[in-house]
Amino acid sequence: MKSESKKRESAKRKNTKLKKISIESYGVKIKIETDMNLDFQDIKFRLAKKLPDAFKLIPNDIFEHNFYITQKDSIFELHKEAEKVAESETFDALLEQLESYIRITVAEYAVGKVFIHAGVVAINERALILPAKSFHGKTTLVAELVKAGAVYYSDEYAVLDENGYVHPFPKMLSMRGIIDDYTQMDLPVEEFGGNAGTKPIPVALVLITEYKRNAKWKPQELSAGQGIMEILPHTLPIRNKPEFTLNVLNNVAERAIITKTKRAEANVTARLLISFFETQAFKI
Amino acid sequence: MINPQTPMARKNGLVIQETTEEVLVYDLETDKAHCLNRTAAFVWKKCDGKTSVEEIVKQFEKQTGSRIEEDLVWLAIDQLSERKLLEKTVASKFAGESRRSVLKKIGFASVIALPVIASLVAPTAVLAVACSGVQTASSCGSGNCNRGTPCSSCTPACVAPAVCGCSGAGASCECITPAFAKKAK
Repeated sequence: MKSESKKRESAKRKNTKLKKISIESYGVKIKIETDMNLDFQDIKFRLAKKLPDAFKLIPNDIFEHNFYITQKDSIFELHKEAEKVAESETFDALLEQLESYIRITVAEYAVGKVFIHAGVVAINERALILPAKSFHGKTTLVAELVKAGAVYYSDEYAVLDENGYVHPFPKMLSMRGIIDDYTQMDLPVEEFGGNAGTKPIPVALVLITEYKRNAKWKPQELSAGQGIMEILPHTLPIRNKPEFTLNVLNNVAERAIITKTKRAEANVTARLLISFFETQAFKI
Repeated sequence: MINPQTPMARKNGLVIQETTEEVLVYDLETDKAHCLNRTAAFVWKKCDGKTSVEEIVKQFEKQTGSRIEEDLVWLAIDQLSERKLLEKTVASKFAGESRRSVLKKIGFASVIALPVIASLVAPTAVLAVACSGVQTASSCGSGNCNRGTPCSSCTPACVAPAVCGCSGAGASCECITPAFAKKAK
């Protein structure tokens, strides 16, 4: 952490006081500090949107992770613990980074949960998980599945409990391609004619897929071990709590089918997946 | 003294998760995950520092009801040693031979699945969500990239000490070190 005295000195130079708020989400306690004249309302608003139903303010003396925002010359800086992790010319962009880092910290340290970077929908009360990196069409496919009748759980994280059940993380869908290919626009699930799930459900299918133009749909079922190895690159707490994480993933793999294939257009894939769920007899 | 005939499986610093068909091993020292198929897992479990390779072969044959070449067990030991899943490194029995030729030789002679260990480096939390590859300049926002100043949106973020920036005017937005970022200004 940047030392308290340095933070105080910086605040004094700017003729301000150190301001702080602390939040808790999924059992992870985080303090955000700044020596700038900053209104925390914006940060709270952003976090409330991105950590749906899952964040509250806590006293400032209880925290495990610390973020610090400051400005040097015309550059805004974000520090996490002892390291500068981001900088930007615009304050808004820095807040985006802060929000992103907070979500990642929550996902990495969440108590009793394993966060996988994935889209999630439910079909007939059984979950379909779509692990993928950013820019790999997760949200697009989730949106098409919702349009085709699936219940929305998340377009960002599959939140798994110790039994391998997936919990709703129903933030708004962050769609790209409306303004341009990179800028995200948050849209409520209702925009897609769907609704969000409310209870934990078992996982029936984990699909490792990415878009490829004119790709043929050739799902290849993976063994439990192979499947877990495919999910691991998208699993946030694996380094921090490997034993718990592997145990949870094994609980998923014991019940779910884990399969891998390239996919073509999202609307075509969505229809295939819905019909697959409707015809398949799952183990769960 | 190392006795390569009685290799010993490493136990410390590992998290072991058995699945229905394989064994997953997470190495806490290297943050690598390994998936041992049945054959590799069988050999690894038999490596107790006392049992010879010859004895492992016999036990394997008894369990599977199939005759196997000793080289098949050595192939497993070779991979286990390479991945630091044995207490002490075992000198490769196949030194000088390519893995391909060894596999070919053993594969033709064996009805048993060859030992396979798949490995990967576990991602940091940031890398688990990051986009792969370099984003294009238009993802940098505000035309920052053209001025060589830090970008606003290598979303979600670069791994410290790297920051999202551009290595030169008109370049793509990518994770670069702060020192380079300053130079680029």
